[in-house]
Amino acid sequence: MDSRLRDTTAIVGIGQTEFSKAAGRSETQLAAEAIVAALADAGLTTADVDGLVSYTIDPVEETELVRTLGIPEIHFSSRVPYGGGGSQGVLLHAASAVASGIADVVVVYRAIKARSGERFGRAAVGGRGTSSHSGSTAMQWCTSYGVLTPASWMSLNSVRYMHAYGVSSEDFGRAVVQFREYAANNPIAHFYKKPITLEDHQASRWIAEPAIRLFDCCQETDGSVALVITSADRASASDEPILIGAAAQAGLFEEEIASNHYAKDIAVMEGCAAMADRLFEGHGFKRSDIDVAMIYDAFSPMFFLQLEALGFCGPGEAKDFIADGNLGPQGSLPCNTNGGLIGEGYIHGLNLTAEAIRQLRGRSSNQLVNPTTALICASRTGLVLRRP
Amino acid sequence: MCPVCHSLEFEIMDLSGDGVVYSYAILHHPQNPAFEYPVLAALVDLDEGVRVLSNLVDIDPRDINIGMPVTVDFRPTRHDGAVPVFKPKAAVDG
Repeated sequence: MDSRLRDTTAIVGIGQTEFSKAAGRSETQLAAEAIVAALADAGLTTADVDGLVSYTIDPVEETELVRTLGIPEIHFSSRVPYGGGGSQGVLLHAASAVASGIADVVVVYRAIKARSGERFGRAAVGGRGTSSHSGSTAMQWCTSYGVLTPASWMSLNSVRYMHAYGVSSEDFGRAVVQFREYAANNPIAHFYKKPITLEDHQASRWIAEPAIRLFDCCQETDGSVALVITSADRASASDEPILIGAAAQAGLFEEEIASNHYAKDIAVMEGCAAMADRLFEGHGFKRSDIDVAMIYDAFSPMFFLQLEALGFCGPGEAKDFIADGNLGPQGSLPCNTNGGLIGEGYIHGLNLTAEAIRQLRGRSSNQLVNPTTALICASRTGLVLRRP
Repeated sequence: MCPVCHSLEFEIMDLSGDGVVYSYAILHHPQNPAFEYPVLAALVDLDEGVRVLSNLVDIDPRDINIGMPVTVDFRPTRHDGAVPVFKPKAAVDG
């Protein structure tokens, strides 16, 4: 694969609502507010927008958004599967539409009421809201046996991973402590000014023993994030464009959404490794090009599996890589500098993209020194973003 | 449909009911009234090569180990049904 996408499109606007536990308004309104903010940031108006992309799981209808925002005419829309694992795919779809000339300005959005609305972490039996995200018949096996939540689905993978490589809950805790340290300095983070120690992590109660404690879990959050994508040529006239250097999506045979119970070896994330090949080799990037990374941390063990699948360390080596301080501001791969989904909040991964853009613009609350290239990974979708 | 040959033919066969624990988790929270907690969730690799998700029974959670031999048992459900669960192989042998 030799992608023609590299550097042909750019992100020109970020917008988001406040992140809270009770937004008190509809997802449609949250999406619209974030999109208006993103367009203002881009110096564009709704009249410029001709494409919309979101997640299959997002409740906000494109037609409703067009009416709500007063968009005159759209020429492209699409949705990405895999739940949060597809969160970076929305930019792949938007960039593809722009690069092909089908659309000029595409808005990607995610609006969620993960706390005051339908909570992923609630132990519901039977029908979740939409069929498109619960994904597969495999889930029927889970629910019949009381395996009802994303934490419980992924704990089976996590425990196998711990067994395969001798990884402990303390090892997971070291990553969480770093994310909480970043979050403590991020005013929009749920855990702003609330850092924890490894002892605090170890004292938090079990959710799914022996892998996932309370503090290993992301924050169920209400809010919305929107981004504006256009061509690199058109973006050059905007204030702070960030180039989409690479975008990739990979879904493999025998994978499931939010679990991978029937793959040959569930202690590795093969889909993420396949995605990473297309992201790096397919677009001419090296691991050493990455100055800062955002890696989907719905639950801390999944961060470890992705770090290894991405090739930043070998199988089982994430615990040592993290214990050596590599995720911190002085490390070789500063990660989740907003606090991640564990520390900042859970806008289903799109808030990680927003933080990567802030880093490249020099506007993060945990600003690194002059990063030029950022990675965002959500297991089976990913991006490399660059400052021009 | 068979993902290899795309055949729609199938047959039902008896399995030994024996396998080993491939992975597990002890689920504490959140709790649903339909289940007893902690829920002992497990992925069991059956001797015939099929992996199934199920529950472990008749075992202290502290005694669960990856690789331990287990064998099938059945627990009643509503509407006179039964679901396969797994218990330690040793408990059967002695």
